[in-house]
Amino acid sequence: MLFLQLLVSGIQTGAIYALTAAGFALIFGATRVFHVAHGAAFALAGYSFLALSQAGFPWFVGAGAALVVAVAFGLFMDFLVYRPIQRHEGSFFTVFVAAFGMSIVVQSLIELGFGRGFVVVASPLTRAHEVLPGLYLADIFWVAVGVALLLFGAVTLFLERTRIGIGLRALSENPELLRAFGLSSRRLSMVAFGLGSALAVPGAVLTAMTSGLQPAIAAQVMLVSLAAAVVGGIGSLRGAALAGLLLGVVENLVVSVLDTQWSAAAGFVVLFAFILFKPSGLFGQAVAR
Amino acid sequence: MLHRRSLLAATALGLASPLAAPRLARAQAGSHVIGTLFPMAGPNAEYGGIFTSGIQLAIEHITADKWLQKPIELRAQDSQGTPQGGAVGMTKLANVDRAPYVLLGFTGVSKAAAPIGTRNKVVMINGGGVGPDLAELSPYFWNVIPLVNQEVQAMLPWLQAQKLLKIALVYVDDPLGTGVLAELKNGLPGIGGQLVGSFSIPPATQQFAAIAARVRDSKPDAVYFASYGAQQSQIVKQLRDNGISQPLLTYSGGSIPSVQALPEAEGLVLSGQAADWTRDDAVTKRFVTDWRAKHNSEPTAYHQNYYNGMRLFGLLAQGLEKAGKPVDGENLREEWLRVKRFAFVGGEGVFEERGTMSMPMQINQVRGGRSQKIA
Repeated sequence: MLFLQLLVSGIQTGAIYALTAAGFALIFGATRVFHVAHGAAFALAGYSFLALSQAGFPWFVGAGAALVVAVAFGLFMDFLVYRPIQRHEGSFFTVFVAAFGMSIVVQSLIELGFGRGFVVVASPLTRAHEVLPGLYLADIFWVAVGVALLLFGAVTLFLERTRIGIGLRALSENPELLRAFGLSSRRLSMVAFGLGSALAVPGAVLTAMTSGLQPAIAAQVMLVSLAAAVVGGIGSLRGAALAGLLLGVVENLVVSVLDTQWSAAAGFVVLFAFILFKPSGLFGQAVAR
Repeated sequence: MLHRRSLLAATALGLASPLAAPRLARAQAGSHVIGTLFPMAGPNAEYGGIFTSGIQLAIEHITADKWLQKPIELRAQDSQGTPQGGAVGMTKLANVDRAPYVLLGFTGVSKAAAPIGTRNKVVMINGGGVGPDLAELSPYFWNVIPLVNQEVQAMLPWLQAQKLLKIALVYVDDPLGTGVLAELKNGLPGIGGQLVGSFSIPPATQQFAAIAARVRDSKPDAVYFASYGAQQSQIVKQLRDNGISQPLLTYSGGSIPSVQALPEAEGLVLSGQAADWTRDDAVTKRFVTDWRAKHNSEPTAYHQNYYNGMRLFGLLAQGLEKAGKPVDGENLREEWLRVKRFAFVGGEGVFEERGTMSMPMQINQVRGGRSQKIA
């Protein structure tokens, strides 16, 4: 039963990881911008949800506000940070430093507004009950899995069936060709940042209710996002989603055979294994040089 | 970092004098530079704010009473709660800021900073770290907080009385956590108990569902956790969310507001030094009255410890100034060895040779978001 319990816990953790990593994978896949500030979008969404929940608003109002704040932040980064850098032929490193600096600014603002301590949105959904002898399950499990499935289905359909979605997939490959088809790479980049940042919201809301928030959470979010993006295949949305799930399940299952100390490290062992033996990740494309 | 440092220095200078003279002019006129080495950012930053507020009240009192001829200037370094941050911060405080007296916290930070401070003859005052190794760490390292071995020893008779004899331990894998592990392993058999499971976690872990499953599997009477910062809150919440209904136990690190405010922390039992705010001595009375007036809340043991740590500097430096001796690390230590007994908040503080201070202990329980003494 311990194994089943750990598997169930792993699926819940993995679903939240998958939701967390998907936005970063989408933005990087479409624009090739190493958007380290994605963790800050996640933190802002989580704290917006928290603020409105504490003010007594129903959850959907809080989630809506989180969506607005995350998307606005993503667009702000695209318009006012990355584009000016790219106009001046800014290097990858310049973009990275700018995004990293913005993450620190956001962290400091959150500290000023909400304090430096741990905060959580109390919800009865997170309380587990015994569904079988020795197997505990909280309602949030179904919410996390359901939201993840629904969202990935919707985003996959959008990317595969709509003109803008196909344009997003083509954006990183050949922006010149996009222009020939009458699509604007700038607008598509805006869509990528808006949609990618919006994808951070469900993960942020679920994290606010389950493991809670603290101002420095962006770093942890980026660690998970990067690991999932590499394991899934750089730029692949479904790869990042599956890799997030895989990391969550491995982190949990490993404690059935190893010391609990190895739980977090196990995910990164998976990451190193992929870097060594399948550097293109689960769904990435191998590039011949 | 620079911004925080400037802010803290300006705050301390502002407190140290009724005149708002520029910092540079004051520094040129001479001041006592005091260093702080606390986590000011990241998941443990809550402690930095708590520790600093205790120091600030002590500076206000020292200044108001005109104990010293020169004002006190605080220089803050962010330890990030990590040994690396501790080593870098102490190097700057000792070599750049030339602070002869540094207040610090966290076991890992203290152990990393101590050799650097000792080499530079900097007196280091710990009011927050509780790892047992902090006793006899250095002739210049003094603790104004009981260490965790004292805390666990105080908890054991209570566990015996409550018949909570099978204990599972979730501990952060650092000197604090391993210290608690050793104390419980050695102490539980003495009361007829046993450690039925011990689960180590890295300091950055945030997911505890799997650990909750393992804890549940070990069928304990109570679960002791030894961690700090935001991780403590995550442990409490996730253990409760994942079906752990047994009593939760911890050390004084759980006395921070973010832990106690959690609904899941209701009933949490924690050890700590005796904190009797109803005491009649003048030092305690003034501290409690002014704290309540300034912060509109009750002080905690951490506020008390860092107030005492700063007050200790005031007492030692006053003695040195009167004797016409320079206020440096070496002389501060000499003065400390000479006096040894100090009037502190909570009563007379008597230091032992190994740099520790013995204090009475108590067992508290979180009820309605506040700690209340139960034994």
